[in-house]
Amino acid sequence: MNVTLAYVIAAMMLLAVTAYSTAGGVDFGAGIWDLLAGRDERGRRARELIDRSMAPVWEVNNVWLVLAIVLCWTGFPTLFESVFLSLYPLFSVALIGLILRGAFFAFRHVAENPRDHQIADYVFGISSVVTPIFFAMSLGAIASGRVGAPGVSAWDASVSPMSIAFGLVSVCATALSGATFLIGDARREQAAELVEYFRTKTLIAAGALIVVGTGALAAIAVERRELLTSMASFPAVLLVAVVMIVTPAVAFLVWRRWFAWYRVLTVAAVGSLVAAWGVAQSPYLLPGRLTIDQAAAPLGTEVLLTVVAGVVVLVIGPSIGFLLYLDQKSALEPQGS
Amino acid sequence: MAFTLGYHILLVPLGVALPTLTLVMEGIGLARKDGVALLIARRWSVVMGVQFAVGAVTGTILSFEFGILWPRMLGRFGAAFGLGFAIEGWAFFLEAIFISIYLYGWNRLRPRTHFLLGLVLPPAGLLGAFGVLAANSWMNTPGGVTMQPNGALDVDVWAALFTKALTYEFWHFTIAIYLTAGFAVASIYAVAWLRGRRDHYQRLAFGVPFTIAAALAPVQWVVGDLSARALTFDQPAKFAAMEITWRTRSNNPEVIGGLIDSSGNVHLGIAVPSLDSILVGLSPSTVVRGLSSFAENSRPDAIESNLTHLSFDLMVGLGSAALLLTVWHFAVLIRRRRLPQSLWFYRLAALAGVGAYLTVESGWVTTEVGRQPWIVYGAMRVADAVTDASPVFLWAMLGTLFVVYAAIAFFFITLLLKLSRRWRQEDEAGSTEVFGGRGLPYAPRTRGVE
Repeated sequence: MNVTLAYVIAAMMLLAVTAYSTAGGVDFGAGIWDLLAGRDERGRRARELIDRSMAPVWEVNNVWLVLAIVLCWTGFPTLFESVFLSLYPLFSVALIGLILRGAFFAFRHVAENPRDHQIADYVFGISSVVTPIFFAMSLGAIASGRVGAPGVSAWDASVSPMSIAFGLVSVCATALSGATFLIGDARREQAAELVEYFRTKTLIAAGALIVVGTGALAAIAVERRELLTSMASFPAVLLVAVVMIVTPAVAFLVWRRWFAWYRVLTVAAVGSLVAAWGVAQSPYLLPGRLTIDQAAAPLGTEVLLTVVAGVVVLVIGPSIGFLLYLDQKSALEPQGS
Repeated sequence: MAFTLGYHILLVPLGVALPTLTLVMEGIGLARKDGVALLIARRWSVVMGVQFAVGAVTGTILSFEFGILWPRMLGRFGAAFGLGFAIEGWAFFLEAIFISIYLYGWNRLRPRTHFLLGLVLPPAGLLGAFGVLAANSWMNTPGGVTMQPNGALDVDVWAALFTKALTYEFWHFTIAIYLTAGFAVASIYAVAWLRGRRDHYQRLAFGVPFTIAAALAPVQWVVGDLSARALTFDQPAKFAAMEITWRTRSNNPEVIGGLIDSSGNVHLGIAVPSLDSILVGLSPSTVVRGLSSFAENSRPDAIESNLTHLSFDLMVGLGSAALLLTVWHFAVLIRRRRLPQSLWFYRLAALAGVGAYLTVESGWVTTEVGRQPWIVYGAMRVADAVTDASPVFLWAMLGTLFVVYAAIAFFFITLLLKLSRRWRQEDEAGSTEVFGGRGLPYAPRTRGVE
C-alpha cells in the first residue's frame, strides 16, 4: 500500500514537471522569440501576437512548479533535502529568472515611454531563456547521479556535461513549443505574414532540438550509461520513440504547411521527452542512491496527498478545461479594441 | 527568508481579501443596477490581477526558498509540515484559473455568470491561507508526529494539520487580512476625499471597504486577546518575550515599550502594576512564567525578546487605534446615517491603510522572532535546519533578492499611481466608456492604441 501510493505520488510529481515543461514551455518559448524578434515593424507585430497569446494563461503555469515542489517536500522529504543541499545554485538563478520574467511581463504593459518598454522587453526575454535552462540543468544534475553523492560539492553536482546538455535541450524544446503555438495564434488571427514568420522559427527550433538532443544522448552515454540503457528498454523506449518520431513529424507538417495536429504533436514530443527521463530513471529518485519507496513519506501523509489531489483534480480538471476553451475561442480577449 | 516571507505577507491581505471586496462591489452594482459600483469593481479587479501576478511570483520563490535555506527541516519534517502546503498548492491553482477567468470574462460573460464564477475566489483564497497557516501553526505547536524506534517518522495527518495554534492563528490572521485590505483600499479614497472628491464614486469606494474593516476591528480585538492568552500555555517562552518578563512571578506588571538586557533588567518603558497577570488570568495573583525559567539555548535572547516585545506593542497599539476610528465611524453611521465628514476622520483613515500593513508585519515579527531559537518549537533549532551553502552565497542571494524585490515594489507602486491617474483623467473627462481592457496588465491592446 505504502509503496503503491509512493509510486502514485511520484507519478503526480513527474506529471507536474512534465506539465510545467509543456505548458510553461510554450510560455518560455514565446519569451525567447520575443527576445529574438528585433525592433523593426515585423518584430513589433510578432511581439504583439506573443502578448496576446500569452496573456490569459501564463500565470497558471507557475502553479505546476509549486505543485511539483510541494509534492516533493511532503511526499519525499529526504529527496527534497538532498536535491536542495546540492543544487541550490541552479535553483537560485532559475528563481531570480522566474521573478524577473513574471514581473516584467506584467510591467511592460504599463510602461509608457518606449525606453522603459524596451528594458522590460529585454529583461522579460532574457529571463525567458535563463529560467528553463537552469531548471532543466537541475533535472540533468539529478539524472547524472551526482546529487547526494558523498564528497561532491554543490558546484560539481550542479554543473556537469549532462546538466548542461539538459539545459540546452530545454531551450530548443521551449523554442519549438512556443513557435508552433504562435503559428496557431497567428492563424486564428489570419495574420498570414506572421504564420510564415513562426513557420520558419518552428523549422529552426525543430532542427536545433534534433541536433542538440542527439548531443544530449552522447552526454548521457559518457556520464551515466545506465540511464541510456534503460531509456533503450521497455517502457521508457516507447516514450523515446515518440520523441524521435514526432519531432521530425512536426517539422514535416509545418514545412508542408499542413497545419493540423502540429501543436498536439509538439506537446506530445516535449512531454514524452521529460517523461522518458522520469520513467527511465524509476524506481530511482536519485540514480543509484535513493529509490521511490526508500524516500516515501509515512502512509498517512501519502493518503492525504493522494486524496487532496484526487478531489482537486475533479474540480480543477473541468475549470482548466473551461479556461482553455475560452482562451482558444478567443472569448477571453478584452473587447475594447 | 525572513525578508521574503515578510514581503510576501504584505501581498496576502490584498491577494486574499481584494477579490471579496471586488465581489461585494460587483454584487452591489448588479443588485442596484449601479454602474458606478460596477466600474469600481472593475478597476479593483485590475489591481487584483497585478497583485496576483506579483503574489504568484513571490509565492513560487518562497516554496523554493524553503529548500534553498532550510533543506534539513524539510528533510526531517516535510511529511508533516508540508501537508498544509500541499493543500495551499492546489488552492493556489484554483485561484489562478478563476482569476484569469474573472479578469478576462468582464466583457465576454453574462454579468450574472461572471459574478457567480467570481464567487469561487474567496473560498479558494481562504483555503490557501488555511494551508499556509496550518504549516505555520505546526512550526509553533508541532503535533501529529511520533518518532519510531528505527528513527523514521510516523505522521497522524489530522493532528499534524489541525495543531493547537491553528485555531487562533487562522481566525486572527484571516480577520487581519480582511481588516488590512479594507483599510488599505479605503485609505486611498480617504485621500481622494481630502483632495476634494465627494461624489457617489468616492463614497462607495471608501464606505464599503471601510465599513467591512471597521466591523471586523472589534472582533479582532477579542480574537487577538484569546490568541495571546493561549500562548501562555502553548509557547510560554514567546509570551514571556512579548511581555519582557524575566522572573516567574505573580502580580506581573505589563511593560509598555521598554527594553530588556541580557541579565533581565528592564530599561525605560511604562510598567502598569499587575496588569499582565490580570490580562492572563483575570487576577493579580496569576503567576506568569518568565524568560529566566527557560534554558538559555531554548529561549529568545535579549535582542530577539526586545524585537518581539516592541512589535507586539506596536501591533496592539495600532490595533487599538483602529478600534477608536471604528467607533467614530459607526457612531456617525448609526446616528446620522452617513459617512463622517470631519477632516480629521479622513486624515486618520488615510493613515489606517499604512497602519494596517504595519500591524500585520509586526504581528508576523512577533510570532516568528518570538519562536527563536526554534524553527519547530521544542523540536528543531533554526541552526540545525539551515543549508550548508556558504554564507557568502546566501548574502549574495539575499542582496539580489533585495534589489529585485525593491524593483518589483517600485514598479508595482508606480503602476498603481499610473492607473489611478489614468482613471482620474477618465472620470474628469466624463467618459462614460467603461474601459475595455485598457491598462489591464495582461491585456494586449494597450500598445497599439496609445
